[in-house]
Amino acid sequence: MKRGANYQWRSREGNTKAVPAIGALVCCFVLCGCKTAKQPELGEPLAGLTPTQQAEFREGKAVFQREFTPETGLGPLFNSVSCAECHEHPVIGGSGDEIEVHATRFVFPNSCDPLFDQGGPVIQQDATPLLRALGILKEQVPSRATAQAHRSTPPLFGFGLVDAIPEKTVLSHEDPHDRDLNGISGRANRAIDGRAGRFGRKAAVATLFDFNAGAFPQEQGVTTPLSPVEETINGTPVPAGTDPAPDPEVTRVDIDKVTEFIRFLAPPPRVCFTNCHDRHLASHGEKLFKALNCAVCHVPKMKTGPSDIRALDRKNVHLYSDLLVHDMGPALADICLGQAHPSEFRTELLMGLRFREHFLHDASARTVQEAIERHGGEARRSRDNFKALSKSDKEALLKFLDSI
Amino acid sequence: MKSLKSLIIMAVVCVAVVLASASEVDQLKVDLIGQTMGGREKSWKFQSVDQIKELVIKNKTEDLQKRVYTIGLQLQAAGGDKYAAEAKVEYWKTTSGWKIDHVGLLSLKKMD
Repeated sequence: MKRGANYQWRSREGNTKAVPAIGALVCCFVLCGCKTAKQPELGEPLAGLTPTQQAEFREGKAVFQREFTPETGLGPLFNSVSCAECHEHPVIGGSGDEIEVHATRFVFPNSCDPLFDQGGPVIQQDATPLLRALGILKEQVPSRATAQAHRSTPPLFGFGLVDAIPEKTVLSHEDPHDRDLNGISGRANRAIDGRAGRFGRKAAVATLFDFNAGAFPQEQGVTTPLSPVEETINGTPVPAGTDPAPDPEVTRVDIDKVTEFIRFLAPPPRVCFTNCHDRHLASHGEKLFKALNCAVCHVPKMKTGPSDIRALDRKNVHLYSDLLVHDMGPALADICLGQAHPSEFRTELLMGLRFREHFLHDASARTVQEAIERHGGEARRSRDNFKALSKSDKEALLKFLDSI
Repeated sequence: MKSLKSLIIMAVVCVAVVLASASEVDQLKVDLIGQTMGGREKSWKFQSVDQIKELVIKNKTEDLQKRVYTIGLQLQAAGGDKYAAEAKVEYWKTTSGWKIDHVGLLSLKKMD
């Protein structure tokens, strides 16, 4: 109140040239409703953590950044030496430029074999010196695979909130038979044990813990109490003498620490544009986003369930995803996984989109616009409507996407 | 007469062993509920005994503090695919008896 009164006094008594500028600024703040609540910066922990939880965040981050060597558990086959080697851009926990190779076997109409017994679905692309000395430089795509896929590194910001969304909330968005006749028919993928999946580009992983527990063996070749034997080389055990570290190579506590780090990693901060033009443009873009039915799959907001962790307890998550899989058309199709067919992908989370350098599940799109224009299948109509927008409307939609 | 007595004793011992084994398998199935093995796409969370279509004890070792089973499993979620798995189940001795600590996934294969 005092500040407002002060501005009023200045506008009356002060430099008259400043009046229009100050007036416009005040008008802008009032009309545009700029939210000034402080958001954690990218890579920072969620607001409202207890000192103990903040300590867990820091300890987990240290494990996340731990660089493994063959002597401490790396390999013999691996993709990266640490979690942070891939999740590094623009800060720890983000995306990366590494591209993975995944392979599975799909038999029409509904049979998907993840080829666990042949080294699938993650085909490790690197090997330690002891394995290289035997002429094994990487794992091969299994002969029984019907397709292989490239996968970019997903940013992990806000994943704790995503994990805390109740399953029933996710399932409430399902419409497998397109009963509302909007041409969009999302369904939840299932983990092999039947739980609804939400993590991974095909949503074949049910929880954040499962995701992290599997990342150690599959990405770094590091055994855990839950996966106490080394990943095979296309089904063949690693040769004797190539794995000097005793199993398991990390403890359950380490998995829990990494999980807590990611659980407490804040979602990307939303942009509060400082000028009216951008703000109005983004606001118009948001309306177009809804009008084009983008928001049917890229659901702007869900709410977490009750949680003992205050920072996760009944919080809004601006994830821009329904966490369901949708048919994206034959041009993008690659592997099956779980119950997801080759052309089905989980709706990509758009929060923090502006921090990414490449787009789509395989990083093959250079720009957001290219990614939109390559949508197919259930998204075809939205894509066509986007293409038909005027240049200024496209600019507005992209400005909105640049703000979330 | 003596050989008949021996036969009866052997039969009783065999039945006792089978019953004990069955009870051990049943106990294992119950203890597995709530445990998760593996990770990522290979995660299996044991949610109900119904998912365990078959459990075979392949090996068992025990010392004063730790008991370790190697088991073979046939698993199937409701309406889902069947998987053959091998797992290591570790128990720790507590003041109230043996308590399951964790389950390690040794191998997993989708069955045709």
